[in-house]
Amino acid sequence: MLELRSVSYRYPGYARLVLSDVNLRIASGEIVGLVGRNESGKSTLCLVASGLAPGSVGGVLTGEVLIDSMPTRGLRPFDLAQRVGLVFQNPNTQRSGVTATVFEEVALGPVNLGLPVADSVERTRWALDTLKIEDLADRDPAKLSGGQAQLVAIASILAMRPAHLVLDEPTAQLDPEGTRLVGQALTALATTGSALLVAEHKTDLLDRLCSRVVAVDGGAIAMDGPAASVLGDPNFERLGVERPARYRIADEISAAGLTVPGAIP
Amino acid sequence: MNPSAVAEPSAPPLTDADRAYLASLAPPATSPYQRLNPLTKATLATIATLSAFVLGGYLAPLAILGILVIPGALAAGALRRLVRGAALVSLPISISVALVSIFTRAGTTVLFTVGPFDATREGVDFAVQIILRLFVTAMALGLFGLTTEPHAFVVDLERRGLSPRVAFAAAATLETIPLMVERALAIQAAQRARGLDTEGSLGARIGGVMPLVGPVILSSLTEVEERSLALEVRAFGRPGRRDLLWTVPDDGRQRLLRWGLVVAFMAILVTRVSGILTPLP
Amino acid sequence: MIRCERLVHVYPGGTQALAGVDLEIRAGERVAIVGQNGSGKSTLVLHWNGLLRPTTGRVLIDGQPAAGRRVAQLARIVGVAFQDPDRQIFAGKLRTEVAFGARNVGFRGAALQRAVDEALDLVGLRADADANPYDLGYSRRKLLALASILAMATPVVVLDEPTTGQDAAGVARIRAIVHSLADAGRTVVTISHDMRFVAETFERVVVMGAGRVLLDGTPAETFGEPAWPALRATNLEPPLAALLGAEWSLGSTPTEAGLVAALAEARPRA
Repeated sequence: MLELRSVSYRYPGYARLVLSDVNLRIASGEIVGLVGRNESGKSTLCLVASGLAPGSVGGVLTGEVLIDSMPTRGLRPFDLAQRVGLVFQNPNTQRSGVTATVFEEVALGPVNLGLPVADSVERTRWALDTLKIEDLADRDPAKLSGGQAQLVAIASILAMRPAHLVLDEPTAQLDPEGTRLVGQALTALATTGSALLVAEHKTDLLDRLCSRVVAVDGGAIAMDGPAASVLGDPNFERLGVERPARYRIADEISAAGLTVPGAIP
Repeated sequence: MNPSAVAEPSAPPLTDADRAYLASLAPPATSPYQRLNPLTKATLATIATLSAFVLGGYLAPLAILGILVIPGALAAGALRRLVRGAALVSLPISISVALVSIFTRAGTTVLFTVGPFDATREGVDFAVQIILRLFVTAMALGLFGLTTEPHAFVVDLERRGLSPRVAFAAAATLETIPLMVERALAIQAAQRARGLDTEGSLGARIGGVMPLVGPVILSSLTEVEERSLALEVRAFGRPGRRDLLWTVPDDGRQRLLRWGLVVAFMAILVTRVSGILTPLP
Repeated sequence: MIRCERLVHVYPGGTQALAGVDLEIRAGERVAIVGQNGSGKSTLVLHWNGLLRPTTGRVLIDGQPAAGRRVAQLARIVGVAFQDPDRQIFAGKLRTEVAFGARNVGFRGAALQRAVDEALDLVGLRADADANPYDLGYSRRKLLALASILAMATPVVVLDEPTTGQDAAGVARIRAIVHSLADAGRTVVTISHDMRFVAETFERVVVMGAGRVLLDGTPAETFGEPAWPALRATNLEPPLAALLGAEWSLGSTPTEAGLVAALAEARPRA
């Protein structure tokens, strides 16, 4: 269980609250989508949920962030690393730059945790297997396509076996093929029992992937509910986010006084 | 619940196949010399360099070259490359040293005169000796550089006790250069697309420095922030030792060699300082 | 305006990125280039301002060969807005940043001021003209990078992935910019992964795969059912509106508005 209780946060040196009074709960096995216009607090929410803010970034946080009922206040990210992981949108900045093969790159997390080699190897194999990228194991991490590199980034976090995974626009810099690969990977992940929070602009992706969607506006939670009801809500576009194509089209058809001839997939 | 406690190690022990796979991840060695432990190679390079400077004259540096450097270079199949590289690197300094010492070294035998300056035999002597030492240094350090994979060196140091954080910083620094070059090229392309003229007059090219250098620095800084957050998430900041996937082998004979070199150097130092033996010519 | 004849490009190292491209883009057209990563889209576009030169074949810009002309000269005709704004921003103020390109192509004094102001207006950053670029978020920095190309008033504007990282308002603004450029008679070319953005904003779609042009036509032609096998072979999916149009036997309807209109024509009101 990943929980934010009445969380407000501001960055160091800034007076403005980027998040105000956020309450959010994500249980194991849930895939929760996070939407919001740019600068609405999506990325900040991801940093706070993973403990990087204020842990690494600094700033002032009021309220509580709890991981499996344990408060994270005062804990450094390496303490939290095996409980909650964060994946960013740029595959290149997540590459350590010190490994020659994907296997070593993915194993870095467990190795950093001080695990014996046998455990590091087992976890690495599990992560590569779950994301179906065993065939990339001997490749040079610096020479992969965007989609492949992002899968390696996700595997690198996964190998640490966090119970919760936060992804901040993981497909933003990927082509449709890469987006599809990451989408498949996240679906596979959820079946392992992890709790996922995925921030995205691509609401079509979230529509397919998430059981629940949370919307952020001006640093506060504006909507929180089952994916179909949030994404299908007529007021959704006020959030500054585009709705999934199927809802848009269904609405445009009924606005024109017509009926939909068949189901929209 | 102790947040730093790692889950109990629970994996079954490694099979031989596993061990073979992990060993295959280490950088391949293409010659017997490269297979030597990095510390051994580093010791050879350091002792060779220091000895060349401690011992004066012509014979000693040449002897060091012949005993410590050239056999290794031959074993690594890198002699020609090494000589070329070392000559190239030591050339600029050698020229300035030569020019300065030939004309300014106090001496009695004048060989020729250029303007108000006298070139003395003592000056030439001194210059040649310095150049020789510089060349030996370049050769010794060059041999180390050509035959040692930097990543393997860092892994070996960590096994010997270097802090993982320092080890990472060292390894990451080595990787930075190709990344910076790639970034600089991308920036140059973007600025040229905005009309920055890199093919025109010298004045135009000088004016183009800021738009090229500025983004290199600024984008590196912004990227550094996200990069360091990504590293934190992978527990790079965690204190404590790590159990690495592969290590570089070391053996008793190499240990003996390293200590032998150190002792030999101590002996040289003592004889030189105390003046027990006359210096070689 | 832009013509590529049997264009082949092989990178040092041997990768053939373009395997013989013949393409002509007329002045004032709105063209989208789509295709999976590695299909040669960026390589193609970089020949138009001289950053890349053909291995064989030739490129003509505004009727004249690109060969022999410097990048700085071609940049006055073809302005390319790159994907990553952080690989070009260097000024301390938005205004200075936007003026850079314009000054390079010869704007001075009052004309320069006007070009900068207009560009900032178009991207909606006029109010922040004196702010530091790094005080803006990433998506607005992208708009800033675009503004600096717009200020150059080039007859051709090339946009590389303009909508990545943009929210609904950002995408709407990009769409408006494309239309306003086209209204002013400028040629707009985009590289994009966003099929819906492409279908709704551009009049011509060029589909690339493995260094060649696979399809070239209107959105109705390139997203219509006969084209789907070719699209899928290059890992692309047509927009949902096109899929539904085919499913409901309404013909080729690449845009959502087109789909609704076709539906209205085909069926009586409910």
